[in-house]
Amino acid sequence: MRIRGTLIEDTFAEAFTMRVARVVITARSPRWAREAALKMTGFATSVIGCKCEAGIERELAPDETPDGRPGVAVLFMTMSKDDLAKRLIERVGQTVLTCPTTACFDGLPGAPDRVGVGSALRYFGDGFQASKVIGGERFWRIPVMEGEFLVQERFGMLEGIGGGNFLILAESADAALEAAEAAVEAIDPLPEVILPFPGGVVRSGSKVGSRRSTRLIASTNDAYCPTLRGLTETALPEGVNSVLEIVLNGTGPEAIARAMRAGIEAACRPGVVAIGAGNYGGKLGPHHFHLRRLMAGAGGAA
Amino acid sequence: MSGAITLTLRGALDGPLELPGLAAAEPAALGERELARLEAWHGGRRTVLGEFFEVTGGRAERLVVRGDLRLVEGLGAGLAGGELIVEGDAGPLVGARMTGGRIEVRGDAGHGVGLGMAGGTIVVRGNAGDRVGSAVAGGSRGMTGGEIVIHGDAGAECGALMRRGVVAVRGTVGPYAGRTMIAGTVLALGRFGPHPGRWSKRGSLVALGGIEPPATYRYACTYRPPHLAVLLRRLRGRYGLPILDEHLTGRYHRHCGDMAELGKGEILAWMAP
Repeated sequence: MRIRGTLIEDTFAEAFTMRVARVVITARSPRWAREAALKMTGFATSVIGCKCEAGIERELAPDETPDGRPGVAVLFMTMSKDDLAKRLIERVGQTVLTCPTTACFDGLPGAPDRVGVGSALRYFGDGFQASKVIGGERFWRIPVMEGEFLVQERFGMLEGIGGGNFLILAESADAALEAAEAAVEAIDPLPEVILPFPGGVVRSGSKVGSRRSTRLIASTNDAYCPTLRGLTETALPEGVNSVLEIVLNGTGPEAIARAMRAGIEAACRPGVVAIGAGNYGGKLGPHHFHLRRLMAGAGGAA
Repeated sequence: MSGAITLTLRGALDGPLELPGLAAAEPAALGERELARLEAWHGGRRTVLGEFFEVTGGRAERLVVRGDLRLVEGLGAGLAGGELIVEGDAGPLVGARMTGGRIEVRGDAGHGVGLGMAGGTIVVRGNAGDRVGSAVAGGSRGMTGGEIVIHGDAGAECGALMRRGVVAVRGTVGPYAGRTMIAGTVLALGRFGPHPGRWSKRGSLVALGGIEPPATYRYACTYRPPHLAVLLRRLRGRYGLPILDEHLTGRYHRHCGDMAELGKGEILAWMAP
């Protein structure tokens, strides 16, 4: 299959199940909501080194938030329920509670599985905290020097998907970056999905384990490193001199598939030789996104 | 299952009428005849509901009661689910000890609306008497959950001994609102009467239309309480209370008290722009 001359490889992306929460951060202005969200989602690219993966899902208009102020929705993901609570308490406590004018709400009110966040953060109030039950939901009012920080007691949790991906195999680093930027731009407006890496793009895709150390759980994906062609068993087609990866996390398979379709469609442009995907032979993750099935019927597919 | 059960008062009452049978029953499980045979008390005499009400429909989640019901006590008392509509004025103790469901009084209600209620919603379209959301006689705490919305005025001791939940009043509130309050929120768009929040431990009195904090309350600061925007938006959206955008975005004087008690209560008084 080719889209505008770019080969869609006959392979699949292998993704795994994660726990996901949606955190709604509001503030007096979009600027301060964004500041808190950026801090909260900083250093949250991969569970391998960051213990969580997070990203800004989208900005929210005042009429979409519980307190009628501008907000930002963050998708926050970990590998287990216990981890989700721990990491949320750490990050909301250090990055949202500390940020001027913010409040923090659960963005998955319908999720039956819930983890305590405000219920732990309230202790920062040192006995001066107070709670209010509004519409059946408990909120904690924590006194701070600026005034009060409001945080919901419990946050909904769903099973989401992490590690959706596709690879952009290009003739040059410039062409790869331009295609990756186009893909990110196409995915950005879509709901229920985040791109946790810098600017949505990964240049250092990894393989499981290491040739040299048993302690490393991941190391460079040498099969896709152009500088190692000739030294290692390469996976690069002829003419490929740079590869970038788009990694996607989302609330479910439909969200991932929709975003991959939009991203791949945008990435198929001059200078891009092929679109591939990272997988482990189907042994690690239960969610498989077959590129050619995803792109069947896409504009310009042949 | 029919759409609604309708109880229509056959004629004017000459004394208080209590309907303990209705309070204990699940109307959704009863037919017309069974409903008519439910226990009632009138003038110290035990009788049946059907003596005073014409019953139509049965086995429905929605119960409509019609007539001049000012002498009927405890309509919706103990309600656990479903919906009760009172078409007219209601007597005392509407929704006392209810745990769920929804009651709407399309007129005035007597004293003790939502006394000791634990959950659900009561909406009174007219005025309500004294002790809204307070404790049942001899009880140590008032309502422990749910929401009461009064579209008219509320009488004295509104929210007295209240433990949790929300009472919102569109009009004015009588004296001693939130007396010995333990927690929860009493909010009024009209003015609070004298002696608000006396001997409260925790809890909030939110005054959008004026309040005179007692001397045992201390001024803390003027700020925007973040939780109020959530509460006010809910009251405006769900119950149609005329909350202004200025109420949502405005600043409030916070007074801590009652210092004669625990002192963790508060009076939040809106600063008109």
